[in-house]
Amino acid sequence: MRKLLFGAGLVAVVATAATAAIAATHAPATHAAKANPATRLVKCGNTHLIGMAFPATGDAASLGQQQLRWALFFQSRWNKTHKAKIRIVQGDTQLPNTAQALSVAHQFASATTMLGVIGPAGSQEVQDTVNVYKNAGLAVVTGSATRVALTRAKTGKPRETPANYFFRTVPNDDQQGQRVSNYIRKTLKKSRVYIIDDDEAYSQGLADQVQKLLRASNASVTRDHVSQSVSDFSSLITRIPSNTQVVYIPWQLAGKAQLFFTQLRTAGKSAIVFGSDGLFAPGTFTAPNSYVSAFPVDFNSAALKAYKKAHANKEEAFGLPSYTAGLVVATAIEKACKDGNVSRAEVRKNIIQTKLPKAATLLGFAVRFLHKNSGASQGNGDMAAPANFAVFRIAKGGKYVRVS
Amino acid sequence: MPDRTDLPAPDAAPDAPRIGVDDWVAQAEERRERGRGVSGFLGRGWESSPASAKLLVLVGLASTLPFWLNEGDLFSYGLYTLLYATLALGLNIVVGFAGLLDLGYVAFYGLGAYTYALLSSEHYGIHWPTPAAMAAAMAVAAAVGLALGFTSRRLLGDYLAIVTLFFGQAFVAFANNANPKVAGEGLTGGSNGIANVDSLSFFGYELHTTEQYFYLLLIVFTLAASALFFLNQSRTGRAWRALREDPLAAEAMSMPVNRLKLLAFMFGAATAGLMGTIFASIQTAVVAGNFDTSLLITLYAIVILGGLGSISGVIVGAIVINVTFEFLAPSSGHPELKRWLFYGVIILLLTRIRPWWRAAAVFVGTIAFGFAVHAIAHAIDPSWTSGHVVDAGRLAGAIEAWVILPTGKAKFDTVVYIGLVAAIIVVTQVRGWWRTIGMIPTLYLVAVVWENVLVEQPAVTRLILFGALLIALMMARPQGLLGTARVEIV
Amino acid sequence: MHLPLLDIIDTIRTLGWGGAFELARNGIVLGSLYALIALGYTLVYGILKLLNFAHGDIYMIGAFIGFGVLSAFGGAGNPSIAILPLVILMFLAAMLGSGLLGVVIERFAYRPLRNAPRIAPLISALGVSFFLQNSVLLLTGGQRYNYGTFELGGDLSTATPGPLFRPAFTVDQRPVTWVQVLVVGTSLGLMVALTLVVSRTRLGKAMRATAFDREAASMMGIDTDRVIASTFFIGSVLAAAAGVMFGLYIGETYHFMGFLAGLKAFTAAVVGGIGSIPGAMVGGLLIGLTEAYATGYIGGQWSDVAVFGILILVMLVRPNGLFGARAIQKV
Repeated sequence: MRKLLFGAGLVAVVATAATAAIAATHAPATHAAKANPATRLVKCGNTHLIGMAFPATGDAASLGQQQLRWALFFQSRWNKTHKAKIRIVQGDTQLPNTAQALSVAHQFASATTMLGVIGPAGSQEVQDTVNVYKNAGLAVVTGSATRVALTRAKTGKPRETPANYFFRTVPNDDQQGQRVSNYIRKTLKKSRVYIIDDDEAYSQGLADQVQKLLRASNASVTRDHVSQSVSDFSSLITRIPSNTQVVYIPWQLAGKAQLFFTQLRTAGKSAIVFGSDGLFAPGTFTAPNSYVSAFPVDFNSAALKAYKKAHANKEEAFGLPSYTAGLVVATAIEKACKDGNVSRAEVRKNIIQTKLPKAATLLGFAVRFLHKNSGASQGNGDMAAPANFAVFRIAKGGKYVRVS
Repeated sequence: MPDRTDLPAPDAAPDAPRIGVDDWVAQAEERRERGRGVSGFLGRGWESSPASAKLLVLVGLASTLPFWLNEGDLFSYGLYTLLYATLALGLNIVVGFAGLLDLGYVAFYGLGAYTYALLSSEHYGIHWPTPAAMAAAMAVAAAVGLALGFTSRRLLGDYLAIVTLFFGQAFVAFANNANPKVAGEGLTGGSNGIANVDSLSFFGYELHTTEQYFYLLLIVFTLAASALFFLNQSRTGRAWRALREDPLAAEAMSMPVNRLKLLAFMFGAATAGLMGTIFASIQTAVVAGNFDTSLLITLYAIVILGGLGSISGVIVGAIVINVTFEFLAPSSGHPELKRWLFYGVIILLLTRIRPWWRAAAVFVGTIAFGFAVHAIAHAIDPSWTSGHVVDAGRLAGAIEAWVILPTGKAKFDTVVYIGLVAAIIVVTQVRGWWRTIGMIPTLYLVAVVWENVLVEQPAVTRLILFGALLIALMMARPQGLLGTARVEIV
Repeated sequence: MHLPLLDIIDTIRTLGWGGAFELARNGIVLGSLYALIALGYTLVYGILKLLNFAHGDIYMIGAFIGFGVLSAFGGAGNPSIAILPLVILMFLAAMLGSGLLGVVIERFAYRPLRNAPRIAPLISALGVSFFLQNSVLLLTGGQRYNYGTFELGGDLSTATPGPLFRPAFTVDQRPVTWVQVLVVGTSLGLMVALTLVVSRTRLGKAMRATAFDREAASMMGIDTDRVIASTFFIGSVLAAAAGVMFGLYIGETYHFMGFLAGLKAFTAAVVGGIGSIPGAMVGGLLIGLTEAYATGYIGGQWSDVAVFGILILVMLVRPNGLFGARAIQKV
């Protein structure tokens, strides 16, 4: 009898659910705000919301928190000099677990007063969530997703984001890889290179690119991997042959690079250490005679001095493009607000036409976005020339000197 | 004979078994009291209704969610709750029914997701029809579950736990790092994972929107819950319970213990595999980072908070944990609501102090103490009270007059936070008047820490609160919300 | 298609005996740190049958306290007192601080759950772990600090190591630095001390009795609360020492370090046979060596999978851990 009751209940339940499902998906708009979210007008009030999708907790927390510091620094500077304030709404994406990034994307999409998004921080997150943002009409401007395929189609595959929705204020992996391999081969004139990536997407993209270019120019390249959680590199260092001239470590964590350098020298190996923009941290990575490729930041500018003062003398630059991303979105909102109303589509249109002068962006170059493919590896959403990486050498005492 | 001062005093350890007292009989009057009145009537009505009715009510309520939640909230609160609830149901089979500590459960979830992604995406260009791909994913997960189950023949308890943990970690390492090249492409896509996974489509009906996935998950959840309910009532379910309580006695009663363990592993793995396919198509991608330890901890928290072996407990646990977690997320909006809620919870906890005049004294004392400290700090140095409250709305003025908000004090955050933790520990260890007096500065410190430190870092705060919630829930109800209290025979 | 196995054999031959020695050295140093932390797990499990998930975070707090002391005296680049007293002070401060923290955690989060089902203190431990990790994340902003002991007495600009990083002796031209000797020596010393405490003192006897049967021990006049608190204290002291040593040897200190090290140490404790003190020590060394050799010979891509594979095999061959006694089941 009980089983019969249960069976009947079960059928009723399934029927209810199925009916409701069909009703919800075929009925005309029954609940509020089914209007197109991209063109919905929001009155320009005193405060505007910009979302920021970044890893506040989890494995990549140290990088995400750095991006947050830069973004909040932007917010405070902007709010001091503008009447219409910006408020950054945080979204914790817990990189590399993209499930949270998706949840954040849906939340941002549904927040009716949100006008633009800084982030997401990881290239994989961008790929997984950009369609959610597109359907909501939101433009995303990231300061750290550098995978080339996000803006430029590879042979046989489409580009990974829809055009005119995704922008980045950081040059992509190909640009950085080109700089690095050119410098190693042409300036340093070294031919025995050991590349170690740290098993996550940013690093692997760069390492692949540099490996390809170096091999094409007849350098002898060995490729190895290490996990981001490792701090004892002694066994890895054992594997590196003593006659290696350059070790290229496109890692994200400057502290680990510093450890790697000291352990390398303790083991008696004299290879030059070459890092990527993740290691651009004058307070942390101070290995003398090492090289780092990064955007041509001017650390003597007033803005960077203010940042250092406000953050207990921390000198870090990985999160700087997030500042620029915030600036891009805020400028677009301000322009759209000239007529008293603003919509996400308007903001997006203004972002496409961004023109920011060199002094404001803090990156060392002016920011404009490309509208179509350009050069060998850039596409719609990348920054136009002269946006590119520079190479810095670390002199004695930990001072970063630009050499290229 | 030395003085026996070390025997437990009668009321010092309320959870310890008391010699010579039958608790169940002693609490008969209390039970009768609880059954009176409207709430008692409803409670008895709920408890005596058949399980199908309860499920019907729950599913009925849930199916109305898309009509009053916006899309983002539906995604975070509805979709993910159902996903985790069904996953936790599968874990409940292994841990709750059969009593096997499986710490590699998330790997089966990943196996299902990756298998589906490999069979229905651009990665290899294979696009199997959804039912076939789902069946294949479940089969692969069940097969690996069987293989892992074989290890349970030799390993017991914590040793089984550790081997399953290795398996879980090995799976993530394999997917993220190893990524061997098979047929020209890396099998798992490495740290980039597999992208452009097809959406589920049943007999031509493709699922795209959040609502469609919500209803699909609701249907899957209903089927899974009912299946588990039947399984629990069946012979296998009873055999599992016997296995959980006392494996040796079960074996002596001629139950096929090894076969039961393998069956538990397989059922759990198959459920996880199925949910993996649904998750892969919701995210339209699969990444190794989706199957890390934090998901495992969440699932275990759900199962244990709800009460091991209880289906309704798992449902309640999933709702509590996911809703709390998502509500506290910084992106979920309503920052003012969170502040109201925070202070509301504090006041609610205050009302649990008996007698009422003590609670009132603490409340009034805290407010007075706060104003006093504020005045003194302001007199010493105005920079102690010159800060501003974040996201306060209407309460801003009141709070700024009550809580000290220093600007430019570098170590303030650290000192006051550690001070708060120390104060809480001290207050819970003392008793009587000392406790009442100690609560006043502690509560004020709570407000200070909240306004100065926690509000600015909502993402980290929610994890801290989550940890505190786990501890508090275990103190309050160690058997979980709907679990049965175990009776220890001395 | 080239076989990875041939690559491995090739690497073994290239690295030769010198390389094998280096890997063994690396494995033993790191393994002794894992062993110290594993001892804390095993001691607590023996007495309470509780897997203390928060133990790894006590290790992390120990490392932070050591770093705090180092910074208070000027940091590694510019210490205001001599190296030896500084190091001793770091050890003492960290060990005392973490020991106290361990006792407080036990009192606060585990004692009320003494008679609850086994899984309740496990969840409580998880809650404590979350709380500690994220509190440190909150207060440090996720920043990764570095002891920088390379510079302690040395000079980074010329890449000359301080005295801790100079070779104590060399084997086949492979250096073994003083800090490595310090780590292995201190770990061995602490393990010997622990074994003596457990087997020769009255407290040790009380600990063994409480581990065997807690109720009987309390009826025999042993203050089990105090014994349990002492066990937590000792375990936390060992973990803190491991934390400071890790700081001196490697140096990276951040909020999440306890989780990973704790996981490895927990693995070591179980593989060695949970509840067994020599098992924890051997388990730690086993894990350290396996990791070193897998990384050295197999390389980053497959090394993690290989390590787990080896450990699974060990568990299948010895289902009760290496030193775990075959439990006699009373019917």
